[in-house]
Amino acid sequence: MLLSTLVYGVVNSVILALVALGFNLTFGISGIANFAYGALYILAGFGSWMLLNALGLPLLVSLPAMVLMTALVGGFIYRFILIRVRGMVISEVIATFGIGLAIVELFRYFGLVGFKYSLPVFVDGSFLIGGVFLDLQRAFIVVLGVVLTGTLWIFTLHTKTGLAFRGIAQNERTVLCFGIDSDRIAALSMGFGGGLCALAAVVILPLGTISVDAGYDVLLQALAVCIVGGLGSAVGVIIASFILGIAQTFSAMYLGTHWMMIVSLVAILAILVIRPSGLLGKQKELEERI
Amino acid sequence: MKRINSMCLAIACIVCIGFLVPQLATAGSGNDPIIIGVPTSLGFTSGRECLKSVTLAVEEINAKGGVMVGDTKRKFQVESIDIRDAAPGVPVPEALLGIEKIILDKKVHAILVGPFRSEALLASMDIVAKYKVPMLGTIAMTPASEEKIKTDPEKYKYIFRVGINVKYFVGYMMGIMNYLNKEFGFNRVFIMHQDVLWARGGAKGFSALLKKGGWSILEVEAYPTGASDFSTGLIKARATGAQVILPIFDMPQAGILVKQWRSMKVPAIMSGIIVPLAGSDAWKAFEGKIAGALNMVFEIGSIPVPKVPESVHYFNAYKQRWGEEVQEQHGPAPAYDSVYILAEAIERAGSLDPDALVAALEKTDWMGAIGRIRFDEGHQVIFGNDPSQTALGCMIQWREGAKRVVVYPEVIAEDKILLPTWMKSAK
Repeated sequence: MLLSTLVYGVVNSVILALVALGFNLTFGISGIANFAYGALYILAGFGSWMLLNALGLPLLVSLPAMVLMTALVGGFIYRFILIRVRGMVISEVIATFGIGLAIVELFRYFGLVGFKYSLPVFVDGSFLIGGVFLDLQRAFIVVLGVVLTGTLWIFTLHTKTGLAFRGIAQNERTVLCFGIDSDRIAALSMGFGGGLCALAAVVILPLGTISVDAGYDVLLQALAVCIVGGLGSAVGVIIASFILGIAQTFSAMYLGTHWMMIVSLVAILAILVIRPSGLLGKQKELEERI
Repeated sequence: MKRINSMCLAIACIVCIGFLVPQLATAGSGNDPIIIGVPTSLGFTSGRECLKSVTLAVEEINAKGGVMVGDTKRKFQVESIDIRDAAPGVPVPEALLGIEKIILDKKVHAILVGPFRSEALLASMDIVAKYKVPMLGTIAMTPASEEKIKTDPEKYKYIFRVGINVKYFVGYMMGIMNYLNKEFGFNRVFIMHQDVLWARGGAKGFSALLKKGGWSILEVEAYPTGASDFSTGLIKARATGAQVILPIFDMPQAGILVKQWRSMKVPAIMSGIIVPLAGSDAWKAFEGKIAGALNMVFEIGSIPVPKVPESVHYFNAYKQRWGEEVQEQHGPAPAYDSVYILAEAIERAGSLDPDALVAALEKTDWMGAIGRIRFDEGHQVIFGNDPSQTALGCMIQWREGAKRVVVYPEVIAEDKILLPTWMKSAK
C-alpha cells in the first residue's frame, strides 16, 4: 500500500506543478496578479468541450485551438483591464478575482453543470507499477509536466522574453530604460500564463469531469504551491508541488480524504508565518534578512 | 340634454351587460381545466424530467378527451414553479413560499412531484394540510412524512408519496448484497460515500445492517462533494481485500470512481448508488468505462423492464415526446403514474372535493410504469419484488455496448450478474 500511495503521490505532485506553472509565470515571475486563473482553467475545459461536441471538431484541433484562445483571453485581460490598475497590486487582485468570479458564475448560470461535460483521454489503458495499475493518461501528465517545467526554466533563464518577464517583476522602470515595453511584456506574460493554464486543463480534465467549482479549487491549489515554493522560483514551485502533493495523498490515505484540502491551507499559513518569501522565493528575502 | 344623458346611460348599460354575460356564462361552467401544480426544483435534471413526465401523461389523457368529473369531461392543465429547494444554500422557507404561491395564485386542484429535500417536504405538509390540496410526491424519501401522517391522519391525509422511500431503498440495497453473497460467496465490503447528510446516513445504516448479516465492513470512507480522485480509496480497497465496493454518491464527478476502478483493476465488484450512472447518457459521458458496475434504479420506468409492459410504454413514450431518454432514476416514472392515479381517483370520487379525492386515492390499485401501485396506511406506495403485487426498484449492470441490463430482483432480471474479467468468485 505504501508503494501505491507513493506512486499516486508523485502523480498528484506533478498535477499540482502543472496547475501552478502558469500562475507562477504571471504572479511569481512577472509580478502580475491573475486571480482569474481558475476561471481560465475551466474556460479552457468548457471551450474544448464545445469545440469537440457542439462544433464536432477533432481533438487535435480543438485542444490547441482552445489553448491559443485562452492565451488570447489572458492577454486581453491585461490589455483592457489590468493595464489601468498596473502597479496597484490590491486593485489587480480585486479586478482579476472579479473577472474570474464572473466567468465561473456565468458558466453556472448557463447550466453547464453535470457529468456530461468531460473531455476524452489522449491515451487509453493502464499499466502495473509499484503494485498498482496506473492509467496511461496520468503517466502522460507526468511526462508532460517534466517537459514543460524544464522548458519553462530554460525559457525564463535563457531567452530574451523570459528575462524580460523577470525584469518587469524586479524593477519596471529599469526595464523601461533598456527599451523593453513593460506593458507588452506584461500582456505576453498573462497570455503565456493563460496558455499554460489551458494546457494544464486539457490534459488534467480528462481524468474527471469539467466542474464549475474546480475554478475555485485550481486557484487555491496554484496559490498554495506558489506561496509555499516561493514567488519567482520555478525550482521552489517544483519542490512545493512535491511536498504538498505527497502530503495530500498520504493524508488522504492514512487520515481521511477531507485532509487533502486542509493540507494546502495549513501549508500556506505555516509558510507565511515561518518564512513569508517561501522556500526558495527571492522577492522578500532582503526584508527577511533585515 | 336630458335625452342625450339617458341615451348615454342606456348605451353604457348595454355595453356593460355585453362584457358581463360571457363571464357569467363561463364561470363555474365545468369546462374549467383541472389544474395540476408541479412545485419542484426545476433547475435540476430530476425536477425537469418529472415535469416532462407529468406533461406527457397530461397530454395523453387530454388527447382522449380528459377526465370525467361527475358527468362532465374536463382536461388537465399543468402549472409549475421552481422552488429551488435542491440548490445548496436555499433556505426551506423560500421553497415553502413557492408551494404556497402556486396553491394561491394558480388555484391548483392537486400538487405532484413536490420538494426534493426531506426537510422541505416535512415543512410543506402543514401548508398542504392548511389548504387541503392533495399532494402526490415523487422525490423526497424520508419515512418521517409517513409517521407524521400516522400521528394525525385527519390533518395530513392529503399527502401521498408515489416514489420510493428510504426504507424500501435500503431493502433493495440489502437484497443485492445478499444476492452477491449467495451467488459469489462475497462477504467483505468497502463502503465509499459522499460526505453529505443522506449518504452519511446511508453508509451508517448499511454498515450496521451488513454487519448484522455477517459481512465484514473493511472501511467506510467519505469524500467531499466535488472530489474527483478516488485513487486512495481504491488502493485501500485492494489492500484490504475488499470483494464488494459499495458507493453512495449523487455528485456528477462520481462516475470517475468507476472509471478509476476499471483502470486500476481493483478486484472488487462495484455495487451501489452512483446517480450519474443511472441514465443512458452515462456511457458516453464516461467514455464507456463503466461496464461491470452495478447501479440502483429507484423506480422502474426510468429503465424499461420487459416483464412490466407499462414501464416500456412510459420509457418509449417519453423518448418519442421529448426526443431523448429519461436519465434520472428517481422521480420521473412515479410522476407520470401520479397523473393517471389522480385521474382515476377523480373519476371514482366523481368530484374535485379534496376529502373525496383523498378517500379515492387511498383506494388506488393501479398498474403503472413503476408496477402495481397501492398505498399503505402512511400513504406510501408499497414497493417489493413482484410487479404483479407491488411497485419496483431494480439493480442494473452496465455491459459493453452501452447496455443496461436488469439483474435484480430475480423475478424481472434479464440476466445474471457478471463479474469483471479481472476478478473471480469466492465460491
